Amino acid sequence: MQSVTTTASSPSAAAQDLPADGLVVVVKQDCPTCRLVAPVLGALDAVDAVVYSQDDPAFPDGVAVRDDTALDASTALGIDVVPTLLHRAGGAETARVEGWDRDRWRELSGVADLGAELPEWRPGCGSRTHDPAVADELLVRARGHLLAARRVELAGLEDEAEALYDRGWTDGLPVVAPTPPRVLRMLAGTTRAPDEIVAVVPPNLVPATVEKVAINAVLAGCRPEYLPVVLAAMEAACTPEFNAHGLTATTWGAGPAVLVHGPIARRIGVNAGGNALGQGTRANATIGRALQLVIRNVGGGRPGEVDRATLGQPGKVGLCFAEDEEGSPWEPLSASRGVPPGASAVTVFAAEGPRGVVDQISRSPESLARSLARALLGVGHPKLAPGFDAMLVLAPEHVAVFAEAGWDRARFGAELDALLLRPPEELARGADGIDEGLAGPTQPQPKFRPGGLLVAVAGGGAGKFSAVLGGWVGGRGGSSPVTRVIEEA
Amino acid sequence: MHDLAALEADGVTATFVASTEFVAATDAQARALGFAAVPAVYVAHPIQDRTDAEMAALADEALPRVLAAVTRGSSES
Amino acid sequence: MTTVLDPTDESRPAARTVGSRPEDLTGRTVGLLDIAKPRGEVFLDRLAALLAERGVTVRRYAKPTFTRPMPADLRAEIAAECDVVISALAD
Repeated sequence: MQSVTTTASSPSAAAQDLPADGLVVVVKQDCPTCRLVAPVLGALDAVDAVVYSQDDPAFPDGVAVRDDTALDASTALGIDVVPTLLHRAGGAETARVEGWDRDRWRELSGVADLGAELPEWRPGCGSRTHDPAVADELLVRARGHLLAARRVELAGLEDEAEALYDRGWTDGLPVVAPTPPRVLRMLAGTTRAPDEIVAVVPPNLVPATVEKVAINAVLAGCRPEYLPVVLAAMEAACTPEFNAHGLTATTWGAGPAVLVHGPIARRIGVNAGGNALGQGTRANATIGRALQLVIRNVGGGRPGEVDRATLGQPGKVGLCFAEDEEGSPWEPLSASRGVPPGASAVTVFAAEGPRGVVDQISRSPESLARSLARALLGVGHPKLAPGFDAMLVLAPEHVAVFAEAGWDRARFGAELDALLLRPPEELARGADGIDEGLAGPTQPQPKFRPGGLLVAVAGGGAGKFSAVLGGWVGGRGGSSPVTRVIEEA
Repeated sequence: MHDLAALEADGVTATFVASTEFVAATDAQARALGFAAVPAVYVAHPIQDRTDAEMAALADEALPRVLAAVTRGSSES
Repeated sequence: MTTVLDPTDESRPAARTVGSRPEDLTGRTVGLLDIAKPRGEVFLDRLAALLAERGVTVRRYAKPTFTRPMPADLRAEIAAECDVVISALAD
């Protein structure tokens, strides 16, 4: 949870009233240590200390207390613990003591015999500003003015999950209600201003602000630290090269998928290991979903409307994973996509659901490369080349076969290219008794256009299985993968 | 009102007929379910002591408004 | 009461609205739902006759009790069989 003390920069009425110089004490009646030090506060009157009470303006009895039940002063002062004694000079804090510490209270107040009858030390209690219910209210009060989106009241008899579904805001799965406190906490995940335009979202070409993306990230179930990844993915997906409009509108079932590169993946917990393409990891499950919800809700790309997919596939709910850069023996995919070493980035690419490729026998790189090439030929249709792009996800036990034989990423790519150059007689319409195919090919054809096959390393340690994610038509008539560095990561 | 909301969610065009005693209750429940307005048709209260002929006359009188509640055209009203 | 922020481009109304209505009832199947209040069936008998005169296909349904929302199987049955439903008569 975001600490409300970060809102201290917000000028509130109480902040204006804070004494610029001298001693300030913040207490609450509902704290044994505060009740213990109550007699001391009378003595501090003599040195003009200002006492704020967070819960009971009549506490402590017999002392002039300022009512801070609204917590404006506590918020402005960044109080974490009560009692807190602090000293201010020229409007700035110069010293602070949390809880009761006799020597330090005496030092700060200059009252030599302060609290002689009290124990030397007692820890304080949590400030009311950290009470979760209060913290939300304070957050909205301090930063709610940053929110420009329309506020929708869900009525008293509406079930929250049903209400959000009924308004057409979901992908069919339940979503998290995007309440103002949740959206404000989400916005704390980025340094970018809420009103900044992130991208113009297809198909309706609607400008999406950081706030709108944050609202959809809440719906999707993202944590605030995922937001920079979602924002970068939005930017990548809304480029003309990626062509999200075409990808949404096509009858083909591919959807936008997100590959995360660099240290942010490990930091926020994007899974690159076992079950990387499956369920169970929140970042993987929600980042791709947030991207799809923005395209749906802001861009207007809804199934049955602009989205004309014949069959679709479950990855269209959202698909996100990371390359296992630390575990991989190879240079990361991001290097060939212009990402500087050490930087974090996303690559957005058109993807169908993953199809596993078994090869538990091959020990030589030549044999394994042939297995993988055979599987890759099936993308779209074995007789169409070049046609659709694809992503090959090499599992650790497969990439090890290449690395141990001294094949690096470039060598693997070159060997694969050679295997994927198919003779015209294999591809021609009618060949093999199949009408589908190329019309009158005379030259060997590559299965993938240059740059049309991405190779990433991911997966659990056991299993000689890789996976092929077919894509969509590559290049100008379709979609090209787009990589964006996450500047704020 | 719950039935109307459920059927509309299923893609069925729905309306209901109620006596005028129900105007306030219906409006309140519609708002509580998040609807700005509902296409209800009201007939004169009371109902339960009416003769068959009176009930038939109520239906005759209500028909144009029932049709208007479930169609886009102005129907026969 | 929960307040949420609109995740959309805000081009649609925030309140729930009923679905779009058909142009007219020609060729439609209309369900008449008796909510099980006394005298309601007399009203619906007459309404059924009036609709049939206009060439509308009419189907009749009845709730077990007016005091609760209709059971799920009745809802599914009506949704599968009808384009339009008219329930009566709340009193």
